[in-house]
Amino acid sequence: MSRRVVVTGMGAVSPLGMSVESTWESLLAGKSGAGPVRAFDASGFLVRIACEVKGFDVEAFMDKRDARKMDLCTQYAVAAGTMAWKDAGFDGGGFDPEATGVIVGSGVGGIQTFGTQHSILMEKGPRRVSPFFIPMMIADMPSGAISIKLGLKGPNFATVSACASGAHAIGVAFRAIARGDADVVVSGGAEAAVCPIALAGFANMKAISTRNDDPEKASRPFDADRDGFVLGEGAGIVVLEELERAKARGARVHAEVVGYAATADAHHITAPAPDGEGGARAMATAIADAGIAPEDIQYVNAHGTSTPLNDKFETAALKTVFGDHVAKLAVSSTKSMTGHLLGAAGGVEFIFTALATRESVIPPTINYETPDPECDLDYVPNQAREANVTFALTNSFGFGGHNAVLAVRRFEE
Amino acid sequence: MADVTEKVRQVIAEKLQIDAGQVTIEASIVEDLGADSLEQADILFSLEDEFGITADDTDEAEGLKTVGDIVTYLEKKVEAAS
Repeated sequence: MSRRVVVTGMGAVSPLGMSVESTWESLLAGKSGAGPVRAFDASGFLVRIACEVKGFDVEAFMDKRDARKMDLCTQYAVAAGTMAWKDAGFDGGGFDPEATGVIVGSGVGGIQTFGTQHSILMEKGPRRVSPFFIPMMIADMPSGAISIKLGLKGPNFATVSACASGAHAIGVAFRAIARGDADVVVSGGAEAAVCPIALAGFANMKAISTRNDDPEKASRPFDADRDGFVLGEGAGIVVLEELERAKARGARVHAEVVGYAATADAHHITAPAPDGEGGARAMATAIADAGIAPEDIQYVNAHGTSTPLNDKFETAALKTVFGDHVAKLAVSSTKSMTGHLLGAAGGVEFIFTALATRESVIPPTINYETPDPECDLDYVPNQAREANVTFALTNSFGFGGHNAVLAVRRFEE
Repeated sequence: MADVTEKVRQVIAEKLQIDAGQVTIEASIVEDLGADSLEQADILFSLEDEFGITADDTDEAEGLKTVGDIVTYLEKKVEAAS
């Protein structure tokens, strides 16, 4: 008998705010987190805009001595993880360290550290490469650092599947608890790739929007004039817990995780399979895993990157899975506001999906102005909407053809 | 060689994010100041950079225990290099 898994803690560092509450408030208000790049001088770059985290105070979460040994992506993970832990009510104790895991994904880990240390290698030679380079760079360090900070000794590793990393992490965490490998898992995603080499790389593969003169309009999922995603950063971390354990300690439950599926396109290194075949299969399998029918679902938090191909094929995939019910389905892309948090996207978007069920409100897709004949669903354009959301899906698809879908249910005992 | 001492204390304080006042000549890098092996290496490499020397005789460099040991070692290296 599989155990039920609920969300008892949530934490976020995002381009829209330094907490879940402030991020959610901005989402419902339809605010964009995009602007000119501030982290470095991007004047010589093809793309000069991003959704950056603003006003992050690392010392609110750790001392400076620890912070300088962590890449920014790990700092974001520890900050969001600490918030989620506190939100779950575990900051005063009451947990079993050996039954508590950490599974946090990142697309690439410490790429900023990689960039700066590679420059040092070129300019000053091998003797000057920092002894902290490797532990700062490796993509598993968000999971490692959270376990060290909070003293959690259960299963601990990272998932790496590009822009699906955070969703895969939560899916694997869900399974670990359902099977009994752990009772509590801190999970989600973290990324901090607003740095010269990543911005140049994404721009040269034509994945990101070049709308430099109007950054707040650049991320426009499903709109006919979309031209790529906007690079984002941050972390979305949750505390998942076995239901009976959560009830026994009187924990507040935000939502329940009821289904998960992972598939591969087996098609191309970056382009999605025609008609979103792999994504459709992941959605259908997650719905079956939840033991429900497509008609039971009211809302899908789309992968919705704002690239021409993703949005077209994700729309086709939704039609394949939902059939006639697709006309009644609300689909929105919160990336229109947060930008694309890459490996952290699955983490923050899972939180948004959980909040949609808890709060009975669906965040909008902003910048939806010109309909695209190939994207003709209800994308909750420009305005948040009150709606009863009993079941929802959140989609995450990554370069490499990785698809992860999570099914969330409004919590009811 | 007061300037060497001062510089060493500054680098150690900055690397370990502690007050320079704690970095006394007698202080042990590991036992008193709490440096781990990565921090010890980080401090040594930074001092090499600062003084333009290379601690190639690693047995001796790795045996340095106190702030004073480091100062003495650096003074010797700087003198040999000049």
